[in-house]
Amino acid sequence: MKKPSLSTARPARRTMALAGLLVIQSLAAVFFVGDAIADISLNGFNLHIILESLVAFALVLGVMFGAYEMRRTIERARRSERALAAASGALGELIETTFEAWGLTAAESEVALLTLKGFDVAEIARLRGAAAGTVRAQLTRVYSKAGVSSRAQFISLFIEDLLDGPVGATGAEGASQTAAV
Amino acid sequence: MVATEAGQEQGARGWDPLVRLTHWGVAAGVLLNGIITEGGSQIHVWIGYAAFSLLVLRLLWGFIGPEEARFSAFPPSLSAAAAHLKRVTRGEHRVYRSHNPLGGLMAYALWATLTVVALTGIAMAGSPLSEVRADEAATEYAEEGEYGEHKESQEEEAEWLEESHEFAANLLLFLAAIHVAGVGFESATSRVNLVRSMITGERRRVQNE
Repeated sequence: MKKPSLSTARPARRTMALAGLLVIQSLAAVFFVGDAIADISLNGFNLHIILESLVAFALVLGVMFGAYEMRRTIERARRSERALAAASGALGELIETTFEAWGLTAAESEVALLTLKGFDVAEIARLRGAAAGTVRAQLTRVYSKAGVSSRAQFISLFIEDLLDGPVGATGAEGASQTAAV
Repeated sequence: MVATEAGQEQGARGWDPLVRLTHWGVAAGVLLNGIITEGGSQIHVWIGYAAFSLLVLRLLWGFIGPEEARFSAFPPSLSAAAAHLKRVTRGEHRVYRSHNPLGGLMAYALWATLTVVALTGIAMAGSPLSEVRADEAATEYAEEGEYGEHKESQEEEAEWLEESHEFAANLLLFLAAIHVAGVGFESATSRVNLVRSMITGERRRVQNE
C-alpha cells in the first residue's frame, strides 16, 4: 500500500512548529517567572513588579493553553490519519480484487493503476521506461477486459463502487450504520 | 471500526514533537553542562535555565499531552518493573504504548535527579539577569567583615548547595548512561530502532531481520 505521505506531512510539520513555539514560550516563561521571583525577593512589591508578575503569569497560562491546543491538534491529526488509512486501504483492496477478477497481468495492473491515479499515456510510458505504443496497447487490453471503451468510463467504474457499492467491510458497515440511524 | 482496531494492533505509537524536542534539548543541556561548560560560568547557568525550562514543559506535557506522553501511561510501579524484568529474563517481549515499566521508572529517576540539579543550581546562581546584583551582594557581604557571622552561614550554605549540585549532576550522568544502555537493549529485543523513533517520531521495525 502507498504511504499517505502528503496528507500526514502537513500536520506533522504543524505540530513540530507548535512544539518549537511552546519550547520558546516556556524558556521565556521560566525566565520571567525566575526574574519576577528574584525581583520580589530583592526589592519587595511595587507597581513594576506586580506588572512583571502579571506578564509572567500570562506567559505560563499561554504555555498551558498552547500545550492543550497542541494535544488536540495531535489527536485530530491521528484520527484523520487512521480514517485515511482505512479508506485508502479499502479502496486499494477493491482495486486489487477487481484487477484480479478481470485477469489483468502484472504490467497491465500497473498501467491501470497509474491511469486511475491520473497519469496520461506519455507520463506512464516515461514512468515505466516503456514506449508509448506499448502503454497504449496495454491500456486497450485493460479497457477491453474491464468492458469499457474510454478512460472516463474506466475511472467511473470505481467511483460508482465507492458511491454505493460495498467498498470492503468498512464501507458496508458504515453504510448499514448510516441506514440504521 | 476497522480503523481503530488496526491502530490498536500497532500498539506503541511514535513520540510527538514536543516529547522529542524536550528530550533532545534536555539531553544536550545535560551533556554540555556536565562535560563541556565550566560550572558556575555564565553559559553554564544559561544552559541550565534552558534545560530546566524544557523539563518543566515536559512535566506539564505529562499532564495534558497525548496519551502515550502522559504520566498515566507509565505509572511508577516497582512491581510492574519487577514483572517486566522477569519477562525479559525469560526472553519474552511485550509491546507497550509508552515506556516499558523499567524505562518508565528510569524516566522518573532522571526527572527527579534533574529537578534536584536544576533547583540547587538556581539556588546558587539566582536569575541569570541578576548577575550584577549578585556581585553587589557579594561585595556587601565582603564589606561586612571577614569574620561576620552572616557570611559564614552563607558560605556553609553555598558549600552544601554546591556539593548536592555536583553529586546530583554526577548521578544524572550515571543514570543517563544506564538509560542509553537500556534503550540499546530494548531496541535490540523489540527490533524497533528506538533512537530513530525518538528523532523522527515514527516507530518502525528494523527492516533487515
